[in-house]
This record gives sequence, C-alpha cells and structure tokens, in this order.
Amino acid sequence: MVKYSDELDAMFSALADPTRRSVIARLGRGPASVGELAEPLSISLPSFMKHVRSLESCGLIRTEKSGRVRTCVLNQDRFHLLSGWLEEQRRIWERATDRLEQFVTTGSVDSDGPTPTKEES
Amino acid sequence: MTTQLSRTRNQNPDLDLSIQRIIRAPKQAIWDAWTTPDQLAQWWIPAPLSLRVDSLELAPGGAFVTRMSEDGTEWHPHVDAVFLVIEEGSRLVFTNAVSSSWHPSLPDPVAMTTEIILGDHPDGTDYRAIVRHGSPEQRARHEELGFFDGWGTVTDQLAAAVE
Repeated sequence: MVKYSDELDAMFSALADPTRRSVIARLGRGPASVGELAEPLSISLPSFMKHVRSLESCGLIRTEKSGRVRTCVLNQDRFHLLSGWLEEQRRIWERATDRLEQFVTTGSVDSDGPTPTKEES
Repeated sequence: MTTQLSRTRNQNPDLDLSIQRIIRAPKQAIWDAWTTPDQLAQWWIPAPLSLRVDSLELAPGGAFVTRMSEDGTEWHPHVDAVFLVIEEGSRLVFTNAVSSSWHPSLPDPVAMTTEIILGDHPDGTDYRAIVRHGSPEQRARHEELGFFDGWGTVTDQLAAAVE
C-alpha cells in the first residue's frame, strides 16, 4: 500500500506542471514524437527533455527511439488505475446500500455508521 | 419482464459495476426510500454530509436533481440527471449524461447510468444496482483538456482511498 501511494505521489508531482500536463493531454489523442510535442511550446529541446524524463520515470508515459526520432506514448497500465477507481465506486455503492438497508429495516440511519471518506463527497 | 429487460442490456465489465443484495424489507419500502425526497435525503450520502432533493420527477425524462452540503448552508451540485425508465415499485433508471434541462452533458469525472431493480424474494427484496460508466477517453474526445481534469478527480479519489 505504501509503495502504491508513493507511485501515486510521483505521478501527482509529474502532473503538477502545466507543460507536462499539456504533454499528457496531447498524448491522450495518440502517440507523438518529442519534436511534435515540443513544437507548440516555447521552450528549448533540452529543457523539454527534462519534462519527458519526468513523465517517463514515474511511468505515465513510455518512449521509444527509432533512428533519430523518439516517440512518446501514454502508458495505458498507469491509466488503468481507473480500475482502482471503479473499486472505489463499488465501495461507495456498497456503503450506500448498507445505509439504504438500515433505513428500510429500522426506519433511520445511524449517524455513527461507517466513517465517511472524502471521495464520497 | 423487468429482469429480462435489464438482462438484455449489455454490461461492460471494465467500466460497469453491479451490486446485488437480499434486503429484508418489502419492495415498496425500498421504492419509497429511493423516490420520496425526504427519505432519499436520509440515507443516500453519509453523515455529516447532508443531501437536498431539488427535483425528483418520477417519469421518463423527468428531472432528478440533488445538492449536498457539509454545513447545511452552502449547497454544492451532487446529481443533475434525468430518469430514463420508471416502472412503479420495481425499476428505476437515471443518467447524468443528459442534464435535467435535457442538455447533453459531460459530467465530471464520467457520465453514468444507474439502474435500480427491485425483485421479489421470500425474505424480502432482491435488490440490484447496476451503474454503467462512460470512459474518461470518451470525455477527452469532446473536451481536449477534459481528459486531464477528469483524470485529476479520479486520482484524487484514488489517493484518498489508499492513504
């Protein structure tokens, strides 16, 4: 769990930068070369490469060099953390069903029931 | 008939979730808990949050709008949806892919369709909830940066869950 959380931290840090977010947004539409990604941004290629490495090291993107062109793609596995989100949705629904069950069988819901968590808000 | 109809709708195991439970209460009690604003407000979201039901028009196309509050004075959007199917006492379907004003919408983080099915059971009610989710990629196609916005919300929720 700790490791999982560290991985998320690294992803959040990588995504805390607007340049890197724009790269992710662009790659959401499909793979692109470093050159294509850097073109609309007014920064030097070397400093852009730092952003690319940051995204690569936390696993959000993968890069592959073919000849002189380095191509970047979104790492689908990372984005499959979505399945973790679905599990969370399931937990929220299970709890709502607990409360519904309690409500229809006892006429009220315990205010000291399961502790509410942030994601339910 | 109700159950057959629901079974004919495809589910996507990657994006949809389904909950089934036997609840020891009559179908009517559960139907009322979902469809009576005063009752829905008491159980749907957990304390200390409070829920306010602004619209609950029990008809296909009818508005389903709820708001929530942490302190009881400031109310935030919760659900802005329309009902798709109402089968009195046994089946309720709503989606937030279309807003209560019938504008196609791109809710955050993804659109979803919720189906509640109440079946007969010797011990009470066979309760099923099926939630079908749109994909974040779908949203991204409509809203270039929306992918990131949606993803941000998703990961915030995820982070809260693993901490």
